[in-house]
Amino acid sequence: MKLTRVLFVALSIAFLSSCTNDDNENVSKGSYDNGVFVLNEGNSSGGSVSFLGDDMVTFKQDVYGAENPGDVFGKYMQNIFFDGDKAYIIAGGSNVINVVNRYTFKLIAKIETGLVNPRYGVARNGKAYVTNANTYSFANPATGNIDDFVAVIDLSSNKVESKINLNATANRIVLEGDKLYISEPFNNDKVLVVNTVTKTLESPIIVGASANTMEVKNGVLYVLASPFGGASKIAKIKLSDKSVTEVVFPAALKGAENLDIYGTKIYFTKGTGVYNMDIADVQPAETPIFKYTSTSQYGVMYGFAVENDKVYIADGGDFASNSKVYVYSLTGSLQKEFTVGVAPNGFYFNN
Amino acid sequence: MLAQNKDTITRLNEVIVSDAKLRKFSSSQTIHLLNDSIISKNGALLTNLLNYNSVIYFKEYGRGMLSTVAFRGTTASQTAVIWNGININSQMNGSTDFNTLSAMDYNYVDIKGGGGSVIYGSGAIGGTVHLNNDLKFDTSFSNELRLDYGSFNTQGISYKSHFSDKKWSTQIGFSRNYSDNDYDFPNTFDWKGNQRYNENGEYQVNTLNANIGFKIDDQQLLKLYSQSSSTDRNISLLSSSESRTKYKNDFSRNLLEYNNVLGDWIANFKTAFITEDYQYFPDNTMNQFSYGGTKMLISKADVSFQANTALLFNTILEYNKTTGEGSGFGYHEREITGVALLIKQEVSSKWQNELGIRKEFTNNYKSPLLFSLGSALQLTKGYQLKINASHNFRIPTYNDLYWEEGGNPDLKPESSYQMEIANVFKHENLMLTQTAYFNKIKDLLRWVPGNNGIWSPQNTDRIEAYGAETMISWKKEIGKSIIEVNGTYAYTISKNEATGKQLFFVPFHKITSAVALSYKKWSANYQMLYNGFVYTQSDNDPTAVVPSYLVGQIGIDYQVPFFAHSKIGVQVLNLWNEKYESLENRIMPGRNYNLYLIFKF
Repeated sequence: MKLTRVLFVALSIAFLSSCTNDDNENVSKGSYDNGVFVLNEGNSSGGSVSFLGDDMVTFKQDVYGAENPGDVFGKYMQNIFFDGDKAYIIAGGSNVINVVNRYTFKLIAKIETGLVNPRYGVARNGKAYVTNANTYSFANPATGNIDDFVAVIDLSSNKVESKINLNATANRIVLEGDKLYISEPFNNDKVLVVNTVTKTLESPIIVGASANTMEVKNGVLYVLASPFGGASKIAKIKLSDKSVTEVVFPAALKGAENLDIYGTKIYFTKGTGVYNMDIADVQPAETPIFKYTSTSQYGVMYGFAVENDKVYIADGGDFASNSKVYVYSLTGSLQKEFTVGVAPNGFYFNN
Repeated sequence: MLAQNKDTITRLNEVIVSDAKLRKFSSSQTIHLLNDSIISKNGALLTNLLNYNSVIYFKEYGRGMLSTVAFRGTTASQTAVIWNGININSQMNGSTDFNTLSAMDYNYVDIKGGGGSVIYGSGAIGGTVHLNNDLKFDTSFSNELRLDYGSFNTQGISYKSHFSDKKWSTQIGFSRNYSDNDYDFPNTFDWKGNQRYNENGEYQVNTLNANIGFKIDDQQLLKLYSQSSSTDRNISLLSSSESRTKYKNDFSRNLLEYNNVLGDWIANFKTAFITEDYQYFPDNTMNQFSYGGTKMLISKADVSFQANTALLFNTILEYNKTTGEGSGFGYHEREITGVALLIKQEVSSKWQNELGIRKEFTNNYKSPLLFSLGSALQLTKGYQLKINASHNFRIPTYNDLYWEEGGNPDLKPESSYQMEIANVFKHENLMLTQTAYFNKIKDLLRWVPGNNGIWSPQNTDRIEAYGAETMISWKKEIGKSIIEVNGTYAYTISKNEATGKQLFFVPFHKITSAVALSYKKWSANYQMLYNGFVYTQSDNDPTAVVPSYLVGQIGIDYQVPFFAHSKIGVQVLNLWNEKYESLENRIMPGRNYNLYLIFKF
């Protein structure tokens, strides 16, 4: 009797614990686990976020509006970054970061003070670092191009705790180790380097004009620059000594955009074409892997990402109506298309 | 016919209209007149008057904020605003912000649907709004002072003085409107549950006016119209974290006119000098701004000749020089020379035909040959038929051509061909006008993002707009009381030819109605406005709309017995406390009040 009882209990525990283990593996943390968020910049009355599940079937056009009815999301949605189970959505035109649970998309907090035209953000060790364009030279010719800053946000209180002045223009930001690397394509020919420990600027890396998209892989920062009228290039910056080597593109690839490293390949776009090259290659091929058909003359490749063995393309459309997202295989066969919100500009993978 | 002509001249002794062309050469189109009594029943800014009393659709970025129109399904820069005969649409953005104009500054406002580019130039595609100051030569001296105080600390003061004898007529005046404009959004809360309100919505609009007429002799008349105004408005926020910005506009408009009647000839010379300036402050706590301004000189020589009792010829030679300078578009000059010929044939007192052609010459764009052709026919005592066809245009603005970066110097003007038929029925005190129109617009300018994300204008779209307008008015005096009823209804289809979709921010339906009663020293009025839903996206996504709304306002005033011509009145606006907006998230105030005093001495 006793033994059977012990056995029963033991079995039960084993069964239950295996069950819980199973649950841990498969249980959904919310409606928006395992999929990709598409950020829709929107128009002057506000933007939105769409969700596409990994199953390529689950789809919701306006996630934030559905989960937070009545809230003013913000104007000119610019970027999303994640930290732990939270997603931080930057509304550049509203000086606000909406903090939501990344799986349920329920609003947790709003970071509403200390931001001036925020652009892109990254997070690490309980802090977020967000570039702010601050004033622009069209209204402030004196200091508009030298007053950009990084807002340092304490993620436990969701408050901007300090700012790091950059004395230059700032836009995209990546984090590697203790360092922030910042590019801006219109008025800056350097990649700015910020030490997050000392909160000071270190000597910048000169890469030339129009440096925009960036990614770090194995200690090397890859920066794609497409100067107006000149050849596109990738600057490879070895972060240990800041030495720069360049991959200069053939003339046919002027105007290359959207660098994204996936596996051992660097992907980028030019016009409606998707290209790639091996990380080690000295030059990319001039022929695209594939081209997509755009109904938009002006919003081609407004958003682009390579992930999950798929190529994700967002088309800006006419910037006044709901637009499209296309999902392709790596070899360029169209797998699915979705109608998202106005002016989709980025993909954020939630896995 | 000659007798009628003499009549007109005799009448000139009393009232000189500021825009003679509107009366002489637009008889084949529908003109809707709003007189000073309707003006005084509405809010101080022009938006409120026109929104409640005309077929024109308004898009307002919150109360007192930027306010633009869509007339007959066209865009904001396809309605021309005409001040005493002169087109005053912005040279920088092509449109007029109706909340920068104070309604009390004018004696009456005319609304003319349909094309008018032959007479009024660029932008007269959907229609024209005419702001008029007439001069009276009636030997009198009078003053009127109006004081307003309302909800959200809204204050208004308006003063007009009129002095005239047989030779001189002067009107001088000023108006000032101010509001804290910090109204609560009805039933609207933020995510923490706090009441939301209109933040950073303060505005003020100040104007100074002087209109002077001098009769040199029986044939010669000199007129001067002058107006300067300044508006200083913050731009209300969608959410409180947004940057607090503001916008300042200054306008100055001066028109000198000389008129000489020599038998069957009338020579008229006009010189106008119009300036507009803006400053935009991206952060209103700092003295940093972007700016722009234009100065426009207009000279017109206008000669008309009454060939015989039936035929009137009018030639106009016009020269126009604009200089513009701004932080966004540098310095540019633009010269335009225009010639026009207008012919009016009065077959009989019941049948008038009109023909007009105009051609402009400039280096900046290719200008089409514009025309207007129309006929008005009184078929029976109670029924008049009007037909009009015209070719109109809208020239590219300074921003379109020169904006840095993105301005496109190779733009063509937008152009439109249109026609309309109007039926006018009159029976005793009842008047009903029904107008059907068709308007084809091509080369519509739209700013779209180009390479490197820089927005640039392109001649992209073609539009087909058609619809029907109905206007009704009825007036009856019964003993000591007067009852007056007015109504308008506009049905509008405006679709992009390529997609077949309705233009966004053009409602299919708009209805207005007004009832005014007066009895002895009391008068009361009720005005109502219904705006059908509008799409906010070009794909007509049914979930992206501004819903329809129905709002009403009521006013009561009383003539104070001991101060003979003075009145005290109260208005209740948004009487039914409807939560509504004319643009997404730009919520308008709930029920609110205005008190006013009018002194006449």
